[in-house]
Amino acid sequence: MLELSSVAHGDHEMNQQRREFLRKAGLGALAGLGAAAGLFPAFALEKTDLSVFSDKPEPGKVRWGMLVNTRKCREGCTTCITACHHTHNVPDFGSSKSEVKWIWKSPYDKAFPTSSRQFQSEEVLNRKVLTLCNHCAEPPCTRACPTEATFKRWDGIVSMDYHRCIGCRFCMAACPYGSRSFNWQDPRPGVRELSSTYPTRERGVVEKCNFCSERLVKGELPACVATCPEEALSFGDLNDPKSAIRTMLQSNETMQRKPELGTLPSVFYII
Amino acid sequence: MSKHIQTLVAVLVGLVVFAGAALFMLGAHHNVRTATAAPASSAIVASPAKAVPIDSTKCIAPTEYMKAHHMQVLDQWRFDSVRKGTRTFVTPDGRHFDKSLNTCLGCHASNPMFCFMCHDYANVKPTCWSCHLSPMETTK
Repeated sequence: MLELSSVAHGDHEMNQQRREFLRKAGLGALAGLGAAAGLFPAFALEKTDLSVFSDKPEPGKVRWGMLVNTRKCREGCTTCITACHHTHNVPDFGSSKSEVKWIWKSPYDKAFPTSSRQFQSEEVLNRKVLTLCNHCAEPPCTRACPTEATFKRWDGIVSMDYHRCIGCRFCMAACPYGSRSFNWQDPRPGVRELSSTYPTRERGVVEKCNFCSERLVKGELPACVATCPEEALSFGDLNDPKSAIRTMLQSNETMQRKPELGTLPSVFYII
Repeated sequence: MSKHIQTLVAVLVGLVVFAGAALFMLGAHHNVRTATAAPASSAIVASPAKAVPIDSTKCIAPTEYMKAHHMQVLDQWRFDSVRKGTRTFVTPDGRHFDKSLNTCLGCHASNPMFCFMCHDYANVKPTCWSCHLSPMETTK
């Protein structure tokens, strides 16, 4: 009995010693952490790898852009819209509620709602402006997408991976230009003549202009640029200072849509 | 006196444990960085592929392989062409193909039932044709 209690007592003592040891070891580790953090500040604060944020326009990297000359664009002409929507099997159900659009014409005050309209000429104010996805250098839609279904490509095109879209429409809420449309119903019945060069979409998927990336791969210009009868649309690499679009941007006064948002649109307008 | 030595030993052990953990994490962090750096740089280098003439005399891989693995091939092609932009597929014997479902259908659509026969038999229902035009629709 006596022996037993003494053993128990010994155990208790050992436990105490172990606790003490662990406590001191823990303090030592903490002290080490503190000392290390003080000696090497980079160790305590994780350094941001800036090379990850390389989406800004970069020289040497392609950044496709478009210049729309609203002076040349003829009123009532919808050649580019028809060509684009046919090429990409964009449905038309004839109602604005289920409208799907890649490229369309907006009134001047809707396209440039924040630009000054004081003493602006009537002719300009009544102009219809060709609008499409701006393929922003800082796209808000790609940040809103929870599945990375929409993303910025290596060549500056804000692309959609329809396979991955879950139809949450966060991107539609994020886009300040209304460039994205949702397929509320199966789009197939709304496509008059199916084009075999591009797939259709399915119900519950968001779609938008893709700058004709499927044509660029083949070395062709986007369908809207290629079909415009007035040659009002120019297309090229914004990062190449010698490209035609850059020389036109140099020699003309141009505008972007809602530039104050900092999205850096790649579509420019001559007013 | 011995109490002080004990304390010193405990603190030293703690320090050693801390140093070990710190070194381990540094190593892990370093590994992660090198692992992510490679694909990022290759994505930048990747340039838009030029149009590739379809060499349609022979399939990209032996029939037996394609029977078992066409879904993996298509999945990889989809990832490469849609997301990475590397559209050219080179077979081991040096033939070039555009990574596109249309490349496959360029030959296999000659039999409009090519995909359906097998998928019906195996009772698999891939969703390709809810967007892509199936050979049943294009050869109507």
